[in-house]
Amino acid sequence: MRLRLLLVVVVVALLAPLLVWAVVGSWRYPDLVPARFTDRGLRLTLGTDVLAALGTSVLIGTCVAVLAWAIGLPAGRALGLHRFRGRRLVAFLLLAPVVVPGLAVTLGLQVFFVRYGLADTVGGVVLVQLMPTVPYAAVLLGAAFTDLDTDDERQARTLGAGPVRTLVAVTLPPLRPALVSTLLLTFLISWSEYVLTLLLGGGTVTTLPLLLFAAIGSSDRTAAAALGVLVVLPPVVLVVLAARLLGGRDATWLGLARG
Amino acid sequence: MTRSERRPLAVLGPVLALALSLAACGGGPAPSAPTADSADWDAVLAEADGQSVRWYLYGGDDVLNTVIDEEVAPRLAELGVTLEPVRIDDTADAVNKVLGEQQAGRTSGGSVDAIWINGENFATGVQADLWRCGWSQDLPNARYVDLEAPEVQRDFGTPVEGCESAWQQASSALVYDSADLRPDDVASVSGLLDWARANPGRFTYPAPPDFTGSMAVRTILYDTVDGPGSLVSDAGEASDQYAAVTRLLWARLNAAAPTLWRGGETYPQSQEDVEKLYADGEISAYFTYGPGAVAQKVEDGSYPGSTREAVPSSGNISNTSFVAIPANAEHQAGALVLADVLQDPEVQLALYEAAGIYPAIDLARTSPEIQAAFAAAPLSPSVLSIEELTRNAQPELASVFLSGIEQDWTREVLQQQ
Amino acid sequence: MTGRRLPEPVRVARLLSPALVVVGVFFVGGVSQALLQSLGRQPLLGETNWLLGAYRTVLGDPAFGASVWLSLRITLISTGLATVLGVAVALVVRRVARGPITALLQSALAVPHLVGALCIGLLLSPSGLLSRLGHAVGLVPDAAVFPALTDDAFGWGVIAEYTWKETPFIAMVALAAMSRQVGDLEDVARVLGAGRLQRLRRITLPLLARPVAAASVLVLAFAAASYEVPRLLGRPFPAALPVLALQRFRDTDLTVRPEAMAVATCLSVISLLTVAAYLTLVSRLVRRTR
Repeated sequence: MRLRLLLVVVVVALLAPLLVWAVVGSWRYPDLVPARFTDRGLRLTLGTDVLAALGTSVLIGTCVAVLAWAIGLPAGRALGLHRFRGRRLVAFLLLAPVVVPGLAVTLGLQVFFVRYGLADTVGGVVLVQLMPTVPYAAVLLGAAFTDLDTDDERQARTLGAGPVRTLVAVTLPPLRPALVSTLLLTFLISWSEYVLTLLLGGGTVTTLPLLLFAAIGSSDRTAAAALGVLVVLPPVVLVVLAARLLGGRDATWLGLARG
Repeated sequence: MTRSERRPLAVLGPVLALALSLAACGGGPAPSAPTADSADWDAVLAEADGQSVRWYLYGGDDVLNTVIDEEVAPRLAELGVTLEPVRIDDTADAVNKVLGEQQAGRTSGGSVDAIWINGENFATGVQADLWRCGWSQDLPNARYVDLEAPEVQRDFGTPVEGCESAWQQASSALVYDSADLRPDDVASVSGLLDWARANPGRFTYPAPPDFTGSMAVRTILYDTVDGPGSLVSDAGEASDQYAAVTRLLWARLNAAAPTLWRGGETYPQSQEDVEKLYADGEISAYFTYGPGAVAQKVEDGSYPGSTREAVPSSGNISNTSFVAIPANAEHQAGALVLADVLQDPEVQLALYEAAGIYPAIDLARTSPEIQAAFAAAPLSPSVLSIEELTRNAQPELASVFLSGIEQDWTREVLQQQ
Repeated sequence: MTGRRLPEPVRVARLLSPALVVVGVFFVGGVSQALLQSLGRQPLLGETNWLLGAYRTVLGDPAFGASVWLSLRITLISTGLATVLGVAVALVVRRVARGPITALLQSALAVPHLVGALCIGLLLSPSGLLSRLGHAVGLVPDAAVFPALTDDAFGWGVIAEYTWKETPFIAMVALAAMSRQVGDLEDVARVLGAGRLQRLRRITLPLLARPVAAASVLVLAFAAASYEVPRLLGRPFPAALPVLALQRFRDTDLTVRPEAMAVATCLSVISLLTVAAYLTLVSRLVRRTR
């Protein structure tokens, strides 16, 4: 179909310049083909600065994903399985951080992070990134808990299973797709986050998006494109893989990851 | 059965504890020992050994970054000092951080050990009493620096008073493509603006408060009113003059605007954007504070081989880049050692050879070998020698007028479009 | 510990408390601090001068009005485009083999906006790929003639980035919503003699409306709040509201801080109002089509 072809062309055309520029040595306007290619950009992505930033990004992303998951799980259970007074208020509170700009909130928080010594630390950045991730985790897991049959848990306990065993063997398995997509989504939100890290990491907590932003601002397009490839590959691979494992519906949620 | 309800919380307990401990680590101000007196250099070296210096510096220049990693950091390592460059895109962020810490009452154990700084950012810190002072003359390598020179004594009009040490010299120049502009066109600002009128869209400057954009505007100011005049100091009568001269300046800039890139309807956000425009052939001329770095760009093919440099008749604007140490810095001895290493003639030579950065030291005071090495550094046909550049050097304005011009430019030029 | 059943409200409160602590401390704390600081509270100085001065300065600055219009324009146009295009893509895609196309949409979904902005710059800037292609076929004699799509006054570059990034998101949501049930209903309608357009208007679109509206609210909120995209693809003046807020915040003159907080507070209010207005509009439209 012609329309389908158009779709493919649009998506690919937008990413193509990135891949080309990553290996360009010299490409003066208006040449259509670069005059010279180089592996400088690729070597740059293996430099110590970039690898350190990669490590920081993975560390922060993992901490954020695990924490948001652990905080969102009980909240999701409450939202999914219980009817209680103030449920709408709680749901509203949990959704508010999605609608109100994180930038505005973080500007207000920044002085307190400085005062309590949280600014410029990995821990501080992890904490502030919980703000945009916990709501998604709670809502996503809440939706999954709605379909959960608590009779199974009760039965397991009656048959003598301990609480940990019940959680691992009975409660979590049916939630598996939601659990995986929650971890992935929160990791990706953290992975792409720029402005919150900038404000509270103060330039000392250097994640890949910070390096990439600086590179885009510099006059070195090759460096920017090479870093861009490094930043874009892990999420794309993760999402496509996850979609294979989970089926399309849960993968859709991953579109919430943005930054 | 309900105990399962508690499970998530039980999981959460340790996780929250982890979060809090994560948050705590690196948080609290470390108790700082009394810092060595800069006059007792052995004590400084002894204290610096084992320290890790967080140096906040503008990180947009890759060549410079490499020199710092390969020349400066190893020399510090030999002295037991670990260099941790914190690369930022706006020096104001570092000043902001120290200000924030000061106001939060953090008088020691501050997170910023040293800042590459000058001009308004330094003046802001002086006003707020942020800096450790009276040390720069004590650096052993300060003997290579002409401490009496006006550009080392005053920083954009603000007296230095030992609160910062010089480490590079910035000199303005006009970079142009000689395939498009003739020598007449670059001999003066009027020539340049006439050329722009004949070739619309091919010249621009970054929007102030960009550091270089602000210089481009001042270059046109110097041409308009014949030099900086009384605006180099912030004495009383200069304020009256400010209004008069800037009125002429805004009129001239607004008249020229339609002939600039995008019809002067907007301006690039940074000097890097301007350099990209030149590399892409969208513009044919731009002002720079780093004329030495142009050679590298011609060599690697991103600039055309016909790239040349010129100093318009109104003169070149020079200033010095410094290193300042916040008074609350945790590793002041290490920062002092950093400042000293930066003034080492061999480091100055490496900066010149690799990145085309002009020395802040007085070459006449260095060894014959160093002088010979400076003289022998190959000069690309695209760039001017130091002598050609600074033959008609003009001082910077007092920083109060500098910020005035930057703010007023936004209102009087940018927002007029 | 004894297995005694706790009253349900207590159990719910315990389950919710970690999430509410995070939202309460960081979100409610941050919003109220931004508000207080915009009104003159300076926690670092330990003093408070209750004044509306910051708001007066901000609202009196022509740059602020220009920023509001720019932000609204960018937000509404890109949300509208992404929603329409996303639904269109979903309608087209569902009739063809889904596998590779879905993977493609998912890949686009996963691209961080920062990379998206870089790509749009490399493609649409006057010396970008599009302009080079135009030159090659003789349409663009030189870069200066190429229409300004980045750093432009209207915000086309920013709109292009949001639209490109968010269309796949809307498309995926719409695809997920077009379950077998929708297909069955359409089949029934066809058997009953409903035409193609009629089926689309009466069955498919109304069934899609709710999930797509929910997804587009997220797009709207994001487009209003993002800093890096308008910073990289926009111009210094007028700047989008988040850019303006951060410009003020990074000023070394700390007395400008309340202005930054005032801009941030206005940004929050505008975001909330736009979302509320949008939701009202959508629910009316949904009701009418039913």
